[in-house]
Amino acid sequence: METRLGGHRILIIDDDADFGTSVASFLEANGYQVSQARSGREGLRQALVEHPDLILMDVMMGERTEGLFAVQQLRRMPELSGVPVFIVTSLYASVPGFRIEPSAQWLAHDAFFAKPLDLPFLLDAIRTRLELPAAAPTGGGEA
Amino acid sequence: VTAGGGTATLPAAAGLNADAAAGEDAGGIVVVIDDDYAMRLSCYQILSRMGFQVELFEDGASGLEGVACHKPCLVVVDLKMPGIGGLEVVDRIHEIDPAIITIVITGYATIGTAVDAMKSGAYDFLPKPFAPDELRVIVHRGLERRRLQRESRRHQLERELLRRRFVTFVSHQLKTPLVAIHQYLDVLRRLDDSPDAAAHRAEWLDRCLVRTAEMRALIDDWLTLAEAEGGLLVRRREPVELTRLIPPLLDTYEEFARRVEVSLSADMPAEPLMVMGDRNCLSVLFDNLIVNAIKYNRPGGTVRVSAGLSTGEVVVAVADTGVGIPAAQHHLIFEEFYRLPHPEHGAPPGSGLGLPICRRIVSELGGRIELESEEHVGSTFRVRLPATAPTAAAVAQTLEPSHGN
Repeated sequence: METRLGGHRILIIDDDADFGTSVASFLEANGYQVSQARSGREGLRQALVEHPDLILMDVMMGERTEGLFAVQQLRRMPELSGVPVFIVTSLYASVPGFRIEPSAQWLAHDAFFAKPLDLPFLLDAIRTRLELPAAAPTGGGEA
Repeated sequence: VTAGGGTATLPAAAGLNADAAAGEDAGGIVVVIDDDYAMRLSCYQILSRMGFQVELFEDGASGLEGVACHKPCLVVVDLKMPGIGGLEVVDRIHEIDPAIITIVITGYATIGTAVDAMKSGAYDFLPKPFAPDELRVIVHRGLERRRLQRESRRHQLERELLRRRFVTFVSHQLKTPLVAIHQYLDVLRRLDDSPDAAAHRAEWLDRCLVRTAEMRALIDDWLTLAEAEGGLLVRRREPVELTRLIPPLLDTYEEFARRVEVSLSADMPAEPLMVMGDRNCLSVLFDNLIVNAIKYNRPGGTVRVSAGLSTGEVVVAVADTGVGIPAAQHHLIFEEFYRLPHPEHGAPPGSGLGLPICRRIVSELGGRIELESEEHVGSTFRVRLPATAPTAAAVAQTLEPSHGN
């Protein structure tokens, strides 16, 4: 309930309203301002308006790996290219042969989390990430 | 088989019917590589009369270029040629495309090499001199093998597709609701004493129950189909009056349809329409079609269910004004685990098993299901089931009262 104004803004992009709502509530209870979008496209539009400090992005939306496409697009938009994106997916761990390497160029600086989320671990990662000085646009890899 | 001999005097059409290769390779391209002019000529006569487009080459190098550019279904190649030998040509052909059937022609002296050629993938060999029929038979057999290989590759691809769809089914449709439930419960536990959680507890637990129910329905659908693999879905045959079965089904979706701003209507004839079937299965069938018509609709759209009799068949049409189905997906939607994405909202909740179940039920009842659809305009699913005697009699009576029995 008690949202600290000026707390970091987090955008959750996930087509599952229940998943989004539960995680949003948890993050809000921990002092973040959270908004949600249900598709990649809607998410990008919202991100352009809200300028979130961090994005939690689902991969499989509407039976497609729409999330990955959205990340690619986001990286090409100058306004959003620096926003850290955490990929949150059950795909990463569960589909044999499906691996996204976090070191891949267009995903540099991002992290992966398996669904369901380990909440304390996520919170830790978000805090660490948001306390870092703005990341260089490319290179590195280890966030 | 017409024994045409080596002479090219038979009219092409006469030989064509008897010798023509069947299937996808009919009229296809065959490449002949031989340094002997007479041999090229007689191969040309035999093969072109079989209906093939024949390309001739006199050495390995130009032959391989020919293979690369013509993409033939079959190559006849002489083993003993100056320059690149037949054995190497066979190897290189298979590097270009392993599905090309190669037949090697061999003189008496090179039979040992012919065996080597077969070891490296040639389909068969033909010792010189050979009769036209010998070549014809071997070409037919070779192309038959090519057809079988292609078919088995197709089956393999289909199996792979089904496997992948199953993985998607498990990961997306079963895991997603479980993840949502888990996350709610986890957050509730962690926020135990906060006013936040208290305010939402009832609502979240309700959502957990809804998601659990969805999963259960999904698993039921799946089990229904899995069970049907080894037997029948339709367990009973009883006269069922569709004109009385369908309207109440529609009524149960009034509320859901109103919420998504879709209006429902039924157009049932005055006389009863009867089929022999299983009441439960028929309910499942029309239930699925009606739900789909509502789900894949748009606000302000309609779902119209109409029924009638046509040449001994009861025809029930469920027509929507929804998103429509691209022609390329018409056959896919009856496949297990396939779900049509809603262009605006992604895939609406559902098991991806509804239509496969419908198809099963209809076919077990001796009927069929047809789809007519136009993108952005809507879809009509038409179920045709054999009408039972009482209906036919009732109709005969209405049409010709004097001849009623």
